[in-house]
Amino acid sequence: MNDLATYAENTWCPGCGNFGIFNAFKKAVKTLEEKGIGRDKIIISAGIGCHGKIFDYLKLSGLYSIHGRSMSTVQGMKIANPDLKVVAFAGDGDAFGEGLAHMMFAAKRNADITVIVHDNGVYGLTTGQFTPTSDKGFRGPSTPRGSIEEPFNPLALMLEAGATFVARGYPVKLNHLLNIMVQAVEHEGFSFVDVLQPCVTFNNTYQRYNKLVEILDHMPESYQEAMNFAKRTDKLPLGIIYKKEKPSFHTAFYGDWNPVTKRLSKQERIKRVRALLSP
Amino acid sequence: MKEDVFTFIVGGKAGEGVRKAGSVAARLFASMGRQVFHMDEYGSLIKGGHNFSVVSSTTRRITSHYMKADLVVAPDKRSYDLHKEHLTEGGILVYNSDAVKDVEGLGVPLMTEAKKYPNPDLKIGVGAVAILAASVGWDRGRIKSLIENEYPRDIENNVAYAMTIYDIVHTKIGKKFHLDEGDRERPIITGNEAIALGAVVGGLDVFFAYPMTPSSSVLHYLASHEKDLGVVAVHPENEIAVINMAIGSTFAGARAMVGSSGGGFALMQEAFSLAGMVEAPVLCYLGSRPGPSTGVPTYTSQGDLKFAIHQGQGEFPRIVASPGSMEEGFYLAAEMLDLLWRFQTPGILLTEKHLAESRMTVDIDPKKAKWPEPIMHGGGEYKRYLDTKDGISPLLFPPSKELIKWDSYEHDELGITTEDPDTIVKMQEKRQKKQMAITEHMKGMHTVNVYGNKSPKIFTYGSTTLSVLEALKAGKMEARVVQPIYLEPLPEWELEKYRGEDVIVVEQSCAGQFASILAEKAGIEPKAVIKKYDGRPFDPVDLAAKIKEVV
Repeated sequence: MNDLATYAENTWCPGCGNFGIFNAFKKAVKTLEEKGIGRDKIIISAGIGCHGKIFDYLKLSGLYSIHGRSMSTVQGMKIANPDLKVVAFAGDGDAFGEGLAHMMFAAKRNADITVIVHDNGVYGLTTGQFTPTSDKGFRGPSTPRGSIEEPFNPLALMLEAGATFVARGYPVKLNHLLNIMVQAVEHEGFSFVDVLQPCVTFNNTYQRYNKLVEILDHMPESYQEAMNFAKRTDKLPLGIIYKKEKPSFHTAFYGDWNPVTKRLSKQERIKRVRALLSP
Repeated sequence: MKEDVFTFIVGGKAGEGVRKAGSVAARLFASMGRQVFHMDEYGSLIKGGHNFSVVSSTTRRITSHYMKADLVVAPDKRSYDLHKEHLTEGGILVYNSDAVKDVEGLGVPLMTEAKKYPNPDLKIGVGAVAILAASVGWDRGRIKSLIENEYPRDIENNVAYAMTIYDIVHTKIGKKFHLDEGDRERPIITGNEAIALGAVVGGLDVFFAYPMTPSSSVLHYLASHEKDLGVVAVHPENEIAVINMAIGSTFAGARAMVGSSGGGFALMQEAFSLAGMVEAPVLCYLGSRPGPSTGVPTYTSQGDLKFAIHQGQGEFPRIVASPGSMEEGFYLAAEMLDLLWRFQTPGILLTEKHLAESRMTVDIDPKKAKWPEPIMHGGGEYKRYLDTKDGISPLLFPPSKELIKWDSYEHDELGITTEDPDTIVKMQEKRQKKQMAITEHMKGMHTVNVYGNKSPKIFTYGSTTLSVLEALKAGKMEARVVQPIYLEPLPEWELEKYRGEDVIVVEQSCAGQFASILAEKAGIEPKAVIKKYDGRPFDPVDLAAKIKEVV
């Protein structure tokens, strides 16, 4: 596995849920390679926050983006060269705060990208403020009396927006999570993986999640059933809750075109522009 | 004063085909081998209000419309009242006698005749074209074929209506004006079309934009010609997505461009800075309109100059250029792609509504456009941010066995995040070295246009150049017009010779931003600044008078 790690010093807190996501993704890359998707074609991006450090730690090519934009970054990569498999890592602040519109629209247009949300319900790197997925009543430096807002439900949001692959994982169930990641990358269309990520320093949810998570024994058969699973609070179902085949954005948009590998030559462009310029 | 120029104005409510009539009039003149400048003034609305098209034409190069018209067609009272002021001595005003009564000019029942067909409102513009054709002596066959070509929808009714109007006016104003034929028929394009096509010839692969006047027609044009041009044009959810997608595209090796106006561009600032940090060569097209804020959306301004050159937090090189004509927009789009890919940094192509949306006859040779040839990795271990003598690190695109990391944080040569003081210094200096390399490179380029070598010395830039050059012709004046094509870095090496000289600045900014930059960066203190900031471009005759006043 070390051949998938860089020399960057790891600065996640000991016990951080990010380690599980990191390890699961490295294993997922190995599995994808066995399936014929080379690591040279797996391109990553990340937002800003503790989750984003995964960009430095993974020995994979990509672009370390800015807060809330990694899903736009990878959509641009995919549109430019659809031969690439693109994965955006995002925090819950990235995905559902700063970058909510990008998430909704990536799902709406079924962009062929994978978004893995490190959903820990807290802004760790900026010292523990509440996020779009924090529980009501969450106390942090910006909400000393407790947050008065209800949290978003990421799975329900993405289902409603049109995501064609919606899943939830938990780093403690590492093999289960890696299997979700592999299928998410393989899926042609918008793949959303919400990872329940405990933050040992500011929002330690291990005990709660250990009690509540439950691996699904089957994938829900309908959109409605998927929505019901997404909205459950007595248990937190883990697994792929929804998957649908639908043409992805770039395929529906330009078929088998590839702006980079099929780029027209200068001569051809001159010819075509000259034709348009004839009076 | 303008005896060689013939000007046609058609006004009316939005939805009456006024702008289309202006375009067809421009084609009518161009088909006579004449050169044309066509400006539309329209409001931010879909129906109603008042729009007008001004089309000026002559047998020499013409770079502005004139607000004094030889022929005015006024389909309603508002047009009549407004444009009767625009009639030149000996000109003709044709009005719709169904809407305007008891006035001077030639009344024609434009609406009574139009009502004989479906969608009568849309016919008014067709009638205006027929009036123009009759007045300049076109025969029935010639006008019929023009209408057939230009109004392919509902072709029979359009031809029938045009012929009726033609016959009504022919006996009264037929052959009233004699127009010389010019040397050859030229294409007519807007600045936006010129820039779109220039970018394509210059290697553009993907274009991203969210609609905002006056830049939207680049998106529309490329989207409608995707197949012809082999370019992908995408309209995402907002300007933030637009530029972040474009940056992602450059990572994959695509030549990417974005388009917007001031407000949308403000939303792109954060990612513009990202492009500076990751060294993404994103070409940003900024079409200005009067601000601040929503401002006056469909009018012109040069109020975004300082905004453009100061885009983005932090220190990084950027290139800002502004074309002084449609042709220059074409070549400059390609040249900017070449420069940005050579130096791997973001840049801005700055225009104004006046250049973006006005149309003129052009002479363009696509072969003369530049083509980007970035420095590519030659093999061996790859480091995205390899520190080199001029700060330029070779590029490599995925898929590759090598690790390619672009990083928004400060980074080491491999592209791994760092807080190490020595590495921070090295990378800050690497970007600074690129800044110096850009300046050195530009010293060997054509960065300033100079027209004429007499006094006064007039400094201007962007679309105002078009107005100044035509004003000199209108006023039969000689001068030296100095137009920096590049505004950041400002080519001081070309401008410093004007220090201490009598210089006049002409610009469309209330604060006089261009004059202030000339003073700050090139030490040029203008003795007079002629400004206009009512959203309308200069009229050449008015501008000529203003120049004479300050000289």
